[in-house]
Amino acid sequence: MNIIRKVRRLIDRMSLRDRQFDFLFDENTTGEVVSVDCETTGFDPWVDDVISIAAIKIRGNKILTSDTFEAVIKPDAKMTAESIKVHQLRSVDVEAGRPMDEVLPEFLRFLGPRPILGYWIDFDCRMLSKYLINTLGIALPNQQVEVSKIYYDRKYGHAAQNTQIDLRFAKIIEDLGLRELSQHDAFNDALTVAEMYVILKDMEKRGVYLKRQREISEPSNAVV
Amino acid sequence: MPKAFDAANPPFDRLSAAEIAELRSVLDIGYFRPGEAIIEAGHSAEVLYVVIKGAVEEHDAGDIEAVLGPKEVFDSRALVHGTAGSRFVAAEETLCYLIPKELTLDLIKRNPSFAAFFYSDISRKLDAMAKAEEADGVESVMRSRIGDANVRAAIFVDAIASIERVAHTMRDRDANAVFVRGGDGRIGLVTGTDLWRSTILERKPLDAPIGSIARYNLISSSEDEFVFEALIQMTKHNIRRVAVKRGGELVGMMEDVDLLGLFAGNSQLIPGRIDRARTTDDLAAPARDIQAQVERLHKQGVKVEDIAEITSDLNRRLIAKLFDLVAPESIREFGALMIMGSEGRGEQTVRTDQDNGLLLSVPVGEDTINHFRAEFSGALQRFGFPPCPGNVMVSNPIWSCTIDTFEAQLKRWVYDPDPESSINLGIFFDAIGVAGRSDLVPRAKMRMIELMRGEAVLIANFAKAIDQFPGTGGVLATVMATVGREEIIDIKKSGTFPIVHGVRSLAIDKGLMAPSTVDRIHALAKLGQFGEEFERELISSFRFFMSLRVRSQLRAARLGTTEGESLIRASELSNLDRDLLRESLKMVKRFRELVRNHFKLTMF
Repeated sequence: MNIIRKVRRLIDRMSLRDRQFDFLFDENTTGEVVSVDCETTGFDPWVDDVISIAAIKIRGNKILTSDTFEAVIKPDAKMTAESIKVHQLRSVDVEAGRPMDEVLPEFLRFLGPRPILGYWIDFDCRMLSKYLINTLGIALPNQQVEVSKIYYDRKYGHAAQNTQIDLRFAKIIEDLGLRELSQHDAFNDALTVAEMYVILKDMEKRGVYLKRQREISEPSNAVV
Repeated sequence: MPKAFDAANPPFDRLSAAEIAELRSVLDIGYFRPGEAIIEAGHSAEVLYVVIKGAVEEHDAGDIEAVLGPKEVFDSRALVHGTAGSRFVAAEETLCYLIPKELTLDLIKRNPSFAAFFYSDISRKLDAMAKAEEADGVESVMRSRIGDANVRAAIFVDAIASIERVAHTMRDRDANAVFVRGGDGRIGLVTGTDLWRSTILERKPLDAPIGSIARYNLISSSEDEFVFEALIQMTKHNIRRVAVKRGGELVGMMEDVDLLGLFAGNSQLIPGRIDRARTTDDLAAPARDIQAQVERLHKQGVKVEDIAEITSDLNRRLIAKLFDLVAPESIREFGALMIMGSEGRGEQTVRTDQDNGLLLSVPVGEDTINHFRAEFSGALQRFGFPPCPGNVMVSNPIWSCTIDTFEAQLKRWVYDPDPESSINLGIFFDAIGVAGRSDLVPRAKMRMIELMRGEAVLIANFAKAIDQFPGTGGVLATVMATVGREEIIDIKKSGTFPIVHGVRSLAIDKGLMAPSTVDRIHALAKLGQFGEEFERELISSFRFFMSLRVRSQLRAARLGTTEGESLIRASELSNLDRDLLRESLKMVKRFRELVRNHFKLTMF
């Protein structure tokens, strides 16, 4: 951990308003990571709300689907027609949800000091931090693990400069031969990310790379 | 909780919604790297694995027994019986659901149809599957069209015809009911019951016009309606017959017994029609029906051994009747007609070929026998029995001769064999007499057994054919390893033939007269050639191969070809069938080894 992050952590820990969440700063002795996905009303953390959270623990090569966190949240902002289309969650479904100030402590206890894993995880963390800052005075302090970064390293780590890079969620699913679960369901997305993670982490350990199609046509083929 | 866990995937499809929810709540997912052993042979397992993605190889003593793909479940033995029979290794990056042992055992206890999947023997698994399929049979019959059923052709009589004449017509045409056409264009119905009621109970004169007793409130169904609609009509109106129409035209009649016949594959009607045949041409229709009902019985989920029994019985009646019709007095008196090969063993369902022959106690005239040979084989071919590619037919003098000539021939096949001899001996050993003198076939078979008794080298040579299709050791392994992939398996070569021929070799060695493979297996077990468990598993495997064969044969028949009639594509099988196929192929391997050891084939 570099010095700047260490200091940042220290400051965060001091600014934490509620000492019962001190455990977020504990050393992660579990060896586990948590795959997290939030469904939101839109893509602007300032305006939009989280409407569901799903989290699944991963221990070594095992995805603990028997020990998961799932919650639907009643948003403050009115749901936009756009988000209804994306998530197929209508206002009435979300009405059945619980308020964020009830869900968030439960989620944080589930998460503990574990690293938080996801696809475009920075966005999820920023969405969650919005609530955290209001209540605890800090952003989510957990280490972030970006699955598309691991994928990038396995696939494009050695790639030539002008290689076309494709980090789409669907592309990773295809490359790893995973089944396509119905997307935009927080649990399914978190599960798919978890599956990606265990496979990619193992490839990393074994030093195996994903095959790339030949992006640049090789002139040597043009021998007459 | 992973909603993505597929509850429709057998055996989980037998769980209730509550049980599935329970299962989903305790599931984990495991990742296995290529080459990683998931279960070691001889070890127990703490979870049941269901492949999500990737591939898992099942290794047994160095051979790859199978490759498991998505949705396949392993290993029930390691979980339920405590020790894995094989070693399970991830072949590529693999994800599996992990179902805790505790819950699996609990579900097995609570849910018997789920439990069936975990039985260690093929026979119990098959029984459990058969039960599940029984209900489907009734369903499929009800959903067939009236036109597809055996609708009786409409018979019309004039309303002015006398009661007596109509009675004669009904007897001659073998009908229980006829349509009556009135002068005014009305059409009515008269049944056998109407005849005796009017004449005996109401004392109507026999020359009274039939129109006076006909009923004109005809209930009819259209040919393209479902069978169950006819059944509803019958129940609603409390009647036993429904008139069948095609585009407004009366074309036939459907009786309640015909419906019954549909369920039973109307096999009970065929013997009567065979018996009543007066010319060879009369036999053509029942011959066709025997074949048509194989598909119907199969669709209804009738067990393959029962289909084979019904079909063999009917084919034998048909062939015996044909013999009666075609054979002249002398051949009927001195001859014995035999059927051989799969027909003799009673294991043929879809007709593949005809293996038949004739033994005579004394010579008959050259012209007489030549005429008979041509007539008999020609008629069978017209009935749709394909000619035997090996020419094992009455039309071939080698297979239709006096018993003395035949026994001399047997001796030559045994002591001075050519490449055909072994095949001929095998075919003849399955012979059974179906018409004419009953003593000749057993006599010739006894002679063959005597000739071969104690000739260890000879029988060993005969038995060696179990390895004639590539199937030993490594090659068999590749056949099995392809199970679960887009590969094709020859059911005859890798399944039925090794069992049939191995059993046949042992039966010759022990001098058994029974022609059917299953009877021979029973007899061999009684003689202590193998244990009870082996006996049961061998029979179950054999029947399973037969059922797969029927499936592929019917498919080939629908395509109007015999090409590929014994090929099965692994991807066309359900998971349960694939599982059974793997187990059955393993059983064949065990059996081949037993036969090889018995005849010390490794020495030759």
